[in-house]
Parts: sequence; C-alpha cells; structure tokens
Amino acid sequence: MKTRLSAWKYVKNNKRAVAVLVTALALSFMAIYVIHVLLQTTVESFKPITLEIPKKLSYANLSDKAYGVNREDYDTYEDYDAAVGERRGELMESMKRRQGIDNVTYVQILKCLYQAVVGQLSYEVPLLSPGEIQGFLNHVDAKLVEGRMPGGDGEVLVDSAVMKNAGWEIGDWFMKDWYGETFRIVGAIRSKYLVSVGTPMGHTNSGIYLVVYNDETATDLRSILKEEGIKLSEEDVVVDAAKGRELFEKDVEDVIGTVVSVISLIVTIFLVILVMVSYVSFMRNRVNEYCLYASIGYGRGEIYGMILRETLLTFAMGSAIGLLASLGAGAVLTKLVIESKGLVGKLIYGDRILSIFGIYVFIIGMLQIPILACISRIKTIDAIED
Amino acid sequence: MFEVKNLSMIYDVNTDAKTYALKGINLELPEKGLVGIIGPSGSGKSTLTYCLSTLKTPTEGSIIYNGKDITKVTGAEREKLRRREFGFVFQKHYLVPYVNALDNVLVAAVEKGPQVSEKAAEFLKGLGLSEKEFRKKPAKLSGGQCQRVAIARAMINDPKVVFADEPTASLDHENAFNVMRILKKYSEERLVLIVTHDKSILKDADRIIEIWDGELSK
Repeated sequence: MKTRLSAWKYVKNNKRAVAVLVTALALSFMAIYVIHVLLQTTVESFKPITLEIPKKLSYANLSDKAYGVNREDYDTYEDYDAAVGERRGELMESMKRRQGIDNVTYVQILKCLYQAVVGQLSYEVPLLSPGEIQGFLNHVDAKLVEGRMPGGDGEVLVDSAVMKNAGWEIGDWFMKDWYGETFRIVGAIRSKYLVSVGTPMGHTNSGIYLVVYNDETATDLRSILKEEGIKLSEEDVVVDAAKGRELFEKDVEDVIGTVVSVISLIVTIFLVILVMVSYVSFMRNRVNEYCLYASIGYGRGEIYGMILRETLLTFAMGSAIGLLASLGAGAVLTKLVIESKGLVGKLIYGDRILSIFGIYVFIIGMLQIPILACISRIKTIDAIED
Repeated sequence: MFEVKNLSMIYDVNTDAKTYALKGINLELPEKGLVGIIGPSGSGKSTLTYCLSTLKTPTEGSIIYNGKDITKVTGAEREKLRRREFGFVFQKHYLVPYVNALDNVLVAAVEKGPQVSEKAAEFLKGLGLSEKEFRKKPAKLSGGQCQRVAIARAMINDPKVVFADEPTASLDHENAFNVMRILKKYSEERLVLIVTHDKSILKDADRIIEIWDGELSK
C-alpha cells in the first residue's frame, strides 16, 4: 500500500513556516562556517612562521653558561668574553661541517609582528651585512619583488604579505613602535616562508642569535647543540622545528580549535532550542491533521515517516542554502578581509562542512524526542469529538 | 455484512460509577443500503458507529464483519480496514488546511497514478465543485463545499461501508439535501451508515435504527 502522505506538499504549501526553519538552519550553518573560516585564518597564516621557516632557518640565543666557560676561571671580563667568543666560533665551525647545515652566523635580530584575525605572532628577522643578504634570500627562495636591496645600515626587506598585514609601504619605518625611527623598509620580498631580513644599525635589545641556515634534514637544533656539547638551560632560547611545531599545536591549533568548538556548541544549543520549540509548535498546530490520517487508516509509522521526510527535506534545504551562503560569504571574506590583510585563508574546509552536517544529524536525532512524543499522542477523530 | 452481538461500551469500567455508552446491542446490517442511526445527543449513536468502524474498541461483545470479529483484530488490521474498506465523513470536515480540494480527496486514496486523480476530479465534479474550486484550499471553500470534499475523500477507494457522523450538521438546507442525495446514490451499491439526531434527513433511508441511553429502542 503506497503512502499518500506527502512531505513535499507540506513544504510547498507552508512556505512561511518552512522558510523560518530553513533560514535559521542556513544562517546557523553560515555562522559556524564563517567563524571557522575567520579563525582558521590564524592557523593557516601562522603555519609559514611556525612550521615552514624552521625548515630553512633555526635560531639560538645561548647564555654564556651554555658554552661551558666559567667566569671564575678568568681574571677579567674581557678574557672571559674572549673565551666565550672562541668557544662560539668553534661551535659555529663545527656546525657548518654538519650535513644539512649550509651556514651559521652570529648576528643581531629584530622581532617582527604578524597579526592574524585572532592573536599575533612575533618572529625573528636577522640583521646581516649587505653582502650576506643575497645568500640569505637564495637560501629561503625569496625574490625581491619591489624596492631595492639593503645597501646601508638599518635597512630592511620585508615579505610582501607581512607588509600588507602591517599596512607598511616601502619607505616606512620597520616596527616603529618597538625600534623607533631606526630601520627603514627598502624593499618587499616574496617567499613561502614569510621571512624578512635587514642590516644592523647600532644595538637593539632583541638579542644576538646564532642563525643556522639548515635544510629539512637538520631542523632539530636543540639536539644538534647538545651533540656539540652545549649545555642548554631554561635561559637559552632555541627556535627550531620542534619549538615551532609545539607553538603551532599548543598555542595556535589547540586554542583556535577550542574557540571554534565552543562557538559551534553555543550556536548548536541555540539552534536545538529554536528548532525544538518550532517543531513542537508546528506539530501542535497539525494535531487534527495527524488525527485525520490515523482515523482514515494511516498507521503511526506512516505519519512518523511523513514528519521525518518533512524534517529531512527542511534540513536538506537549510544545509544546501547554508553551504552555498557559507562559501559565498567565505569568498567575500577571503577577498575583502583575509587577503587584504596579507593573511592566508582557505575557502573550503571539508572537515568543518562535515562536522556541521554532523551537528544537523544530531539535531535531527534530538528532534525525534518531540516527534515521537507527538506521534504517541495521536488519537483518532472519535477521541477529539467525544 | 455486520453482525453485532451483545455489544457494550462502558466508561470508567474499573470504578463503581460505571457509565454505559452502549449496553448489550444486538444488530445486523446488510451489505448495501442507507441506514440511519438516530437518537438524542449522548444516546450512544456516535459510539456505536465508532465501534463499527474500529475507531473504538468496545468493552464487551463482538462485531462480526464479513465473518471476522473486528473487535479482536490487531491495530494494523484495523488500520487496513479503515484505509481500504471503510470511508468516513465526520461532523467537521477535517480537511488538510494546506492542500487544495483535489489533494484533500487524494490523501485518502490507496492507489497512486493519473487515473486516481481523474477519479477524484470526477467525484468532485459529481458533487458539484467546479475545476477552479478543485485548486482551492479549504479556507477558500464554503462549509458545504468542504463537506462535499470530505464525502469525495470518503468514497475515493470505493469503500464497502461509508460511516457518516452528522454529515449535514454544518450545512444549510440545500447543501444538506445535496449531500444526502449523494449518499443515497452511493448506498445503492454499498452500505452507508448515517448518524444523526435530525430525522428529517433520513426520509430516504432504507432502515432507521433508534438508540436511547445506549440501547436500541424496541
């Protein structure tokens, strides 16, 4: 016996009621997805700094103690400092002989801020002599795309995405809030590592670092230093692949993931309440209709099937419209906000889309409670007319 | 067709103050004809119809329909009977408010396909609705038109029995007369049971059953 109970007819003939639900579902879809796109921009944008730069460059700011030179063994500070310098020179020469390390320098660095939608990250900018800069650019596959190479003191090349991010132009002061009018931006470079480089001007307070030009086979600087006899303590700063990964996973990915999950949960709770209340109201308005069906011989299963098909149809429409609206809004956001800020964004996050579908399946599951409660209360018309 | 034996319907059966809606009814009904069940309000006439149509299960007694006691069948069998063999016209029309007149008839149809739609349209035409009115939703139809749509819905599966509970209660004289004419015509081939407290609409009835306080009058 074929059922005549049509879900489509309800949807087609109750456009206003269905539109409310479809709109709520579509907007919720879009809210969750767009928030994810925006926040995920932070994750995508910080990847080059935390995960990619260490594949090419590692940094170490070592205390004098790390070199194993005791102050007590030297009469004057100059002698002690010379001994540390000698030990550092030996270390650098030894490291250069290692496979996977192209060069090691000991230079001042600057810190450069990179601001994402949520949060910011600072990374190291080595200050090299003008003659060393081309070699540095070659090492990180960077190309000068605008301006000129540094020729004098206090000149900086900045990645073009970082310039967009900070709103800098060539000729602007680099990190003026931190370094005042000391370092002038003379050119824009482009590479996949978002690196910047400059020439020194006096002394900065950002520190003097060992800068290791490595390839992907020698990214564990901490282990290399230990093998070289360096005794690392909490005073020592080592920025290598492991540190970058730790920073990315703990301070970026986990934090953003938690924020997205919390927002998704809040939206889901609101949506569950809204949809449940709407459904209870819609079904209450249709009690006589269900009673009629029961009276003329439709089983509760058939009536339940009709309500379920209506639900699935409504959710399918809400999801489809929500997906299209999300991709549209994501594209607009990417163009207007993300790219213009020199950030890295992605339009399609398959896992997030699947998780929103998962949320909707969960809500459909939750809806079975009021639906089944309503089905269990369906009477035949004799009960209404008694 | 129907053989009712010692049928009783008792409300508050587990208390001392038992209320008999039906008390020891014995009755036989033929396979065709217009049968009126008449009685004052609260006499048990609707309850009797609901028991016969399986909408209610009596407390005692049996209802043999085509050789089978339908008080003992499963819920699914009762639904099957109501879907395939019985048609219903209720006091109110109970049309689905969001679909048009034609779809309201088709909602009860067992079969699908264009021939069923054509049949529904023929029924509606025969009941005096125009094609333009087929496309109207119940809110745009008069009370009489709605009741005629409900009658078409009751007849779409060519049921062996049509149960009509006060089918003319909400109609004016002319519409009431038309509805009765349609039901009378249908009763030439099938059984039509009409519950009413208005004896005047039963002037063409083949048989009238009077019921008082849950008992058939002698």
